[in-house]
Amino acid sequence: MTTSTKPPTIAEAVAAATPEYRWVLLWRWPLRVTHWLSAICIVTLTVTGFYIGKPYFTTWGEASAHYLMGWARFIHFTAAGIVVGAAILRIYWMFAGGRYASWRALLPVKTKDWVNLLKTVQYYMMVKQEEAPRYLGHHPLQQFSYTAIYTLVLIHVVTGFGMYGMSNPGGAIYALFGWVGPAFGGIQNARFWHHVLTWVLVWFIPVHVYLAFRADVMDREGEMSSIFSGGRFVRADVKFEDE
Amino acid sequence: MARTKVVVDPITRIEGHLRIEVQQENGRIADAWASSTQFRGIELIMEGRDPRDAWAFTQRICGVCTVVHAVASLRAVEDALDIRIPANANLIRNLVHGMQFVQDHVIHFYHLHALDWVDVVSALQADPAGTARIAKSISPWPNNSETYFREVQDRLKKFVGTGQLGIFANGYWGHPAYKLPPEVNLLAVAHYLEALDWQRDVIRLHTIFGGKNPHPHFVVGGMASAINLDSTATINAERLTDIQDMIKRARRFVHEVYIPDLLAVAGFYKEWAAIGGGTGNYLTVGEFPETDVRDVGSYFLPQGIIVGKNLGEVLPYDHQKVKEYVTSSWYEYPGGDGEGLHPYAGETKAKYTGPPTPWQYLQDESKYSWMKSPRYDEMPMEVGPLARMLVAYASGHDGVQGMVNEVLGRLGVGPAALFSTLGRTAARGIETALIVDRMQTWLDELVDRVRNGDTATFTRDKWSPDTWPAEAEGYGYLDAPRGALGHWIKIRDGKIAKYQCVVPSTWNCSPRDPQGQVGPYEAALKDNHPLVDPARPIEILRTIHSFDPCMACGVHVLDAEGRLVTEVRVQ
Amino acid sequence: MFYPSSHPWVEGETLGEHLEDRGVSRRDFLAFCAEMSAVLGVGSAMTPKVVEALQQARRPSVIWLQLQECTGCVESVIRTGEPTIGDLVLDVISLDFNHTLMAAAGEAAEAAKHTAMEENRGGYVLLVTGSVPLENDGMYLTIAGRTAREHLEEAAAGAAHIIAVGACAHWGNIQASRPNPTGAVGVSEIVRNKTVVNIAGCPPIADTVTATIVHILTFGRVPALDRDGRPMFAYGKRIHDQCPRRAHFDAGQFVEHFDDEAARQGLCLYRTGCKGPATFSPCPIFQWNTRTSFPIGAGHGCIGCTERGFWDQMTPFYERLPDLAGFGVERRVDMIGGAVAVGVTAGVAAHAVATGIHRTRQRKALPVVEQPAAGKEHDRG
Repeated sequence: MTTSTKPPTIAEAVAAATPEYRWVLLWRWPLRVTHWLSAICIVTLTVTGFYIGKPYFTTWGEASAHYLMGWARFIHFTAAGIVVGAAILRIYWMFAGGRYASWRALLPVKTKDWVNLLKTVQYYMMVKQEEAPRYLGHHPLQQFSYTAIYTLVLIHVVTGFGMYGMSNPGGAIYALFGWVGPAFGGIQNARFWHHVLTWVLVWFIPVHVYLAFRADVMDREGEMSSIFSGGRFVRADVKFEDE
Repeated sequence: MARTKVVVDPITRIEGHLRIEVQQENGRIADAWASSTQFRGIELIMEGRDPRDAWAFTQRICGVCTVVHAVASLRAVEDALDIRIPANANLIRNLVHGMQFVQDHVIHFYHLHALDWVDVVSALQADPAGTARIAKSISPWPNNSETYFREVQDRLKKFVGTGQLGIFANGYWGHPAYKLPPEVNLLAVAHYLEALDWQRDVIRLHTIFGGKNPHPHFVVGGMASAINLDSTATINAERLTDIQDMIKRARRFVHEVYIPDLLAVAGFYKEWAAIGGGTGNYLTVGEFPETDVRDVGSYFLPQGIIVGKNLGEVLPYDHQKVKEYVTSSWYEYPGGDGEGLHPYAGETKAKYTGPPTPWQYLQDESKYSWMKSPRYDEMPMEVGPLARMLVAYASGHDGVQGMVNEVLGRLGVGPAALFSTLGRTAARGIETALIVDRMQTWLDELVDRVRNGDTATFTRDKWSPDTWPAEAEGYGYLDAPRGALGHWIKIRDGKIAKYQCVVPSTWNCSPRDPQGQVGPYEAALKDNHPLVDPARPIEILRTIHSFDPCMACGVHVLDAEGRLVTEVRVQ
Repeated sequence: MFYPSSHPWVEGETLGEHLEDRGVSRRDFLAFCAEMSAVLGVGSAMTPKVVEALQQARRPSVIWLQLQECTGCVESVIRTGEPTIGDLVLDVISLDFNHTLMAAAGEAAEAAKHTAMEENRGGYVLLVTGSVPLENDGMYLTIAGRTAREHLEEAAAGAAHIIAVGACAHWGNIQASRPNPTGAVGVSEIVRNKTVVNIAGCPPIADTVTATIVHILTFGRVPALDRDGRPMFAYGKRIHDQCPRRAHFDAGQFVEHFDDEAARQGLCLYRTGCKGPATFSPCPIFQWNTRTSFPIGAGHGCIGCTERGFWDQMTPFYERLPDLAGFGVERRVDMIGGAVAVGVTAGVAAHAVATGIHRTRQRKALPVVEQPAAGKEHDRG
């Protein structure tokens, strides 16, 4: 409960008026900005990326009258730049963003968390649901999957810049990412993984959106709104695993 | 008198790595062994690949015969998948393959073979006026002036004067086997240099249709070069004119330089019309389909087999009668060394059993080569220009009969002279002249078709692997400049399951088979063959070069199970 | 047409004198030097230096070893250049050993090589085409009864400069591709103590080879090399970035099948699997066979032959993505990806339905309460 002299926010007011709930701030704006920028950019990158990989429609007539692939690439590279910016912000926030955004929350470490990982899986399989552990931030399964997504994005960024740098072997990008081709055993292998792993991102989106909505519906504790507002109302008498 | 063992390794001025060993007795060759000393395993590497890529892989078998393995592979895949290419594509492939013949044969004559007959150093003593007189008497070629030959000779004199002889160092200059008068030597040296520039020009036909040479690009189902008279990026009037001029220049050079030189040189070496004959069996699968490759009757040069030098009968060719043996080769067959396998069944493991390096002699080994021994109906077969010209001659091919008779007449010898080292070299020239003239016909037909609105160069019917049967097998063949070439492919689930080539130089350079029959190189070297000085084996070079060996082509292996690598490491 | 000179090289003559004797005017010679400077990418400011270097050059010895290969690189190099320039380049070097062209054979050939190596020890340029097979003690290639490796090590020891010409000498090429039955490797795998210049390509363009030699003779050092040892003046840019059809790529104008309407308009070959975007090579600029054309110019996509591992990396040639060993799904990767996406979505929907059913059952199992205490029954579990 806040002791500010300023007028309470609506959240604080509601929390004060309904003592059985409390409001916790989980995701401050840098994390929310990171999330939404990445979400928009990943969708953009996927759409433009698939066009670049296999241009599914073509234009006709004077070449100078069109710039379809040019725009697709421009948008792709711009979105990639934004994702990199967002990633840098996210990395900063791993150290400055508090416990729920911390690098410590990337993967389960304690034995208890590992046990809880199993229980969470059981919960989603609708087995022993009463034993499901409650987390304020990410539960171990989320930690795993989101960290996997970070890794995927990292691979995409590295392979992407590896390919991008080839257009100017004298340039800074090539100086930084010229090793990518040889490291993958050839730039075409890097291209292959860049393309194939995009599908994992595509598969992730419906699962992620569904589970977020599902949690919101099942728990009625504002999981969905937390990624907009930054916080959730939770039952005051529940003790969370990561509190 | 004891026999002297002679080793010539490397044989230079050929493609690849060849070792010849002979036993010399009384100035003649008593016995001979031909060893291919390189192995690359390309067919093994092709397994599991996309059959549409096969042409590029097989093309790398050889950079000299850069077109032939690509086209044989296209034909094998197109046979397996029943793809019928447009008429224009067939004509373009004929033009490309035709120029391959013409360019390759001229290079062979001047740059690979000529130095066996032409003494470069003797040309220094020539009277350029005499050379010009001889040249004018045999050809209207515009460079036949005294000034021109004097320039060449002065250049040669100063070149020799530097002491830096480069590629001419350590040649067998002054060997008594060189018979040309200095004036003719000078003529040949001048044309050696001219041909270097000529070949660079005419081969550009490959670049126009295939993007580059060596190793121009092809495509299963036709040719990639689209025809559009109204685009800068396609085959248009400008490109067609360029091709027309190249063919014109090629014809002129062949008729006014190559053929006159060939006849002039041959006139001084008539004794070689009785040397180096060899097996006497000749095989050609025919080449230059003028409608479709399936229509054997439409071939410009006919298919057939001649056995025992019998020009009275041309036997039909049946690829099922081809078998390969590994009796004398560094391979193993599941059924042992006595077994012969058809290429579809050919399953081979490399197994080197020769001595460690440095080698002394291989002739005492039971196995001595990376070449297998293909046999047709159990007989060794010579392939190449001589086989083609003999089969065409015996089949009554008008052009071939006319030209062969003319050449024989000019040299004052009978048809028996064809079965020899000189006959091989002459046949190569004769077919060059016939093919280069025929190229004009193909180009005219192509232009006619375009004029009538047919510009198709590719069929996409069976392009997608989704349209292919789960399993297919195909046989693609052609007669390459060096002789009969066959590619056998098995396709399973859209990938190459098995690939096997039987290549001209494998026929010609094959080692001994289980019956002890020697291969054509070996047979030729044993056939009335002189070798005067074992330290300067120029006679061996003459006969071996008359086959135009291409060793990289000849060596290959397939092991469907991929056991080769394991096997080799066990060694 | 070739017009041989009446003034070939004489002992002690510099190139400048030699050219003057040959009737090549100083103007022609300067033009050649300027052109060479341009080919080498050193800029016109360097032209005087090229002039000076070439005028003083004696014909240096060049030894050309041909190992496990197809001779395509030799064929390519003999197609080099315009008449005068090609001729000049041939006159500038003394080609003391080359299987394909040399007159001598057998022992005499080997002797010519050894003489050249001894007379020019530490000073000759070694060209190598072909790879070196290492499996089975190198028995997959023997020359004069000795293995390729022995020949290479012997020749490399006394060389001032080593130029690996073509993909075989560069990295092993086709014979080094899956599964590399002969254990083929490139020159730089054997010669580790000297710089190896890699003239990449299967085969390389002739002018790239000759220009590299001229660079070494002119400047006394090898040209600037990229990460893979390839000269920057030739391999500094991708085909894609120099392609005459690039405008069609940017415009989104693609050939889908050979000989379709787009192909007849000369549009971009990207969709037919062109590997120009992954390939560093001067093909669109230098072009092939005295600047006649190059593969894309003839309507076929690039197959990436200047890149290490291209037989495994760039195949299938008509697909954009490589066929990785054991993967086998490349051609249908998007189909599979899409199908899995549909499957995942269906799975999600099924899970949602299952959740609904499960929850309804749970509710029915609960005792009916008039005013449920806040959230009790909504707890997970």
